Amino acid sequence: MEQIKKNRWLIKLIAKANFSTKSQLLRNFLFSENKYLPKTKLEANAKSVLKCALCPNMCRFDCPVLKAEKSEALSPSGKTRVAHLLETDKLNYERETTSIFYNDADCDACKQWCPFGFSVGELSIGIKSDIANRGLAPKGLLAVKEKILERHTLYPENVTSMEINPKKKAEILYFAGCTTLNRRKETAVATTKILESAGVDFTVLQEEWCCGYPLHALGFRKEFEAFSEHNIKSFKETGCKTIVCSCPSCAYMFKKIYPAGKYNVQHTSQFFWELMKNNRLNLKDVEREVVFHDPCSLARKLNVYEEPRLILKSIPKINLKEAYSNKKNTQCCGRGGALGIANPALSLQLAKNRVAQLKETSASVVTACPSCELALKEADETIEVLDLSEIILAALNQ
Amino acid sequence: MPNETNQDKGSKTESEKSRIYERLRSAVGSDNVSIKDVDRVAYSRDYWPITFRWLLEGKIDTKPDFVCWPASTKEVSEIVKIACEEKVPITPYGEGSGVLGAAIPINGGIIVDLKRMNKISEINEQNLTVTAQAGINLTNLETELNRKQYTMGHFPQSFYCSSLGGNLSTRAAGELSTKYGKIDDMVVSLEAVLPQGEIIKSKTVPKSSTGPAVERLLIGGEGTLGIITEATLKIWPTPEKTVLATYCFDSVQDGLSVIQNIMRKEVFPAVIRLYDHLETERQYNQFPKSKGKCILILLMQGSEELVAAEQKVTEKLCIEHAVDCGEEPARHWLEIRFNVKEAADFAPKDVILDTIEVSITWDKSMELYNAVISAMKKVNGVFYASAHASHFYPQGVCFYFTFGGVPVKTTPEDFYRKVWDAAMTATLEVGGSISHHHGIGIMREKWLGAELGTRLEMLKKIKQALDPEDIMNTGKMGL
Repeated sequence: MEQIKKNRWLIKLIAKANFSTKSQLLRNFLFSENKYLPKTKLEANAKSVLKCALCPNMCRFDCPVLKAEKSEALSPSGKTRVAHLLETDKLNYERETTSIFYNDADCDACKQWCPFGFSVGELSIGIKSDIANRGLAPKGLLAVKEKILERHTLYPENVTSMEINPKKKAEILYFAGCTTLNRRKETAVATTKILESAGVDFTVLQEEWCCGYPLHALGFRKEFEAFSEHNIKSFKETGCKTIVCSCPSCAYMFKKIYPAGKYNVQHTSQFFWELMKNNRLNLKDVEREVVFHDPCSLARKLNVYEEPRLILKSIPKINLKEAYSNKKNTQCCGRGGALGIANPALSLQLAKNRVAQLKETSASVVTACPSCELALKEADETIEVLDLSEIILAALNQ
Repeated sequence: MPNETNQDKGSKTESEKSRIYERLRSAVGSDNVSIKDVDRVAYSRDYWPITFRWLLEGKIDTKPDFVCWPASTKEVSEIVKIACEEKVPITPYGEGSGVLGAAIPINGGIIVDLKRMNKISEINEQNLTVTAQAGINLTNLETELNRKQYTMGHFPQSFYCSSLGGNLSTRAAGELSTKYGKIDDMVVSLEAVLPQGEIIKSKTVPKSSTGPAVERLLIGGEGTLGIITEATLKIWPTPEKTVLATYCFDSVQDGLSVIQNIMRKEVFPAVIRLYDHLETERQYNQFPKSKGKCILILLMQGSEELVAAEQKVTEKLCIEHAVDCGEEPARHWLEIRFNVKEAADFAPKDVILDTIEVSITWDKSMELYNAVISAMKKVNGVFYASAHASHFYPQGVCFYFTFGGVPVKTTPEDFYRKVWDAAMTATLEVGGSISHHHGIGIMREKWLGAELGTRLEMLKKIKQALDPEDIMNTGKMGL
């Protein structure tokens, strides 16, 4: 009804048009679009891809990939234009052509500016699935996929558990995530200490599998589903009601991509803030200046950007400074979309670009994502990068 | 579409192409030249609505042979020299948001994409200037200015997706142009590469009387006379205050008369937008007071004192002839002004939409408005024809027409060209200019002779003198 009211002007105009115009218009509305869409069923959302392809690239200014790269083919609508031509068989699926879709940070910067609310990263996932289904996924990524399937994590260290509270059942499940367990163990240790300090009754999985984000982002849909099924089964075994994640990508996957479940999924920043609001953490002075880097998956995909700030502002004597690009207007660290795996050099350049922005404010960075932490530190060893949990632990230990 | 001579120029044997490729690689570095098919496809179009048809129908007939990404004026010069020696067409490329086909490499050859040339070399707070390379994106340029509490005041609808060089090359206008001027008003000096590779650079001074400002030939030259590589532009301190106002008039004529009087009082609100009845109903129908009216959006900004004076004058002049609708409709415009979704919504349904901007003096303004609307409506299949006026001068106004329709017993392209022909012919008959700020490209070539008269011959002679090999953006602007 609201739509009819809004478009009354159009209805009146069409009513006034001559018969041939009216009938042509009706035919076009009913039949035209199908002429231009792929004839076979695909994983990609072909209608949205085409809409994006017909945009003048209104989000390009904020695309971190385009800030580091130069070709129109890597611009947001540049990618979907090529995708449309591929899907409609006007271009051949060749590796050189399809490689553009693996230069994507899935950071949703574009989504903020899109009148349709599209994320080119999300659209690209469907396109990458179609590429994978044709057997044309890059060979290096196929090897990565095999390793993940074999190890159940992304990392050769293959740490899959905190090895505490084995088989315990509890309402709160702490899911550290494979990046945290294998490369940012400090975060997992700090988090468990904080939970213990607040008297939280929690459990961990005996064996954590990767949440599946890399498989999902790279378009390995079927393989991802196996991970999702396994993890859901593991969650059930713990009897948990709330899942707390150190990694915002894990939280995003459980909350938005896994089949809708009964779990209350929270990122640690949300859970910690609840503890602090309820005076369950006794924090003392931490005298330092920090800048908070908003992970895209936390700020944009999960809409969480106030809680980390509320936490930092609640720690006495912390001087929280803001980067010029902050909250939802953050800039990607380069590890989103599994870009660190798909194109490490481009990923590193994105990280360097973000570090340069952060350093304008402070060289002491606090963030809330293990991938961001690794990326920023790799880009510049001279900066200090801490997880939110490490700062809270420092305040607890004073 | 490509003419024979230039098409021949674009056709090279494989061994010639290999030689050119190697020469370009040594000029700008091997990573900065591409002959990959995916890059060539990506640069085969701009945002001319005819290219929507190409995308829908899967036509990729205008691929360049090479894409180059120079990092400096010197590298641009090297590329141009190679092109000149090898007689290869060059198409300069910013961000491809032009709506008339100026950036399409219709004769193949070399795309010179300036995207790597995106540095700001100076924000001079004393002189109120910014110096930036031509490849910088407008939003990114404005953001850097805002961080230092300055603005350029240039906000075209392509603000998010166009480059400084593209704006200069088409003499673009922003939504706040009535106060800050058009991009050509903002240029203080520029650096460019001419079609034989010579580099020119004008002095950054507020004004000089040293003969014709020859460098300004490149402003609006759409890359046919050279490639602008850097420019120094005027900036302003971030406005202290911004005030919004909306008034509703009974007719376009009533609104125009009041705006004319505002101009005569030497009051220049940054934004003045007057919508005809149909556009008011289309875009503002959620505001009941606008029903059956023509809405006027005003945005005044600057120092407190100036804004207070502008507000006082505009309110006094408007209120005598219009209904005060408060700030909300203006706020709504601010929120949606960069939403560009019509092409995406309608092109796949074979509904053809486009906009046509023209300018006219006050004395013929209503005549032009009526003539163009009436001419467009006469084309079979047009069911929508409307306009708003959005750039104002003491001498006249820019009308921005929109049409929508379906091709009846004809092709989409033919229908599109018929509506354009109707609008352009009507504009010329009344005495208006066929373009206010989008430029000529390919689409408007047909009417440029009638617009320029003997000046087109003059332009051709200049082109011949500067570009004897005829390599710079060939097949555009009737050159």
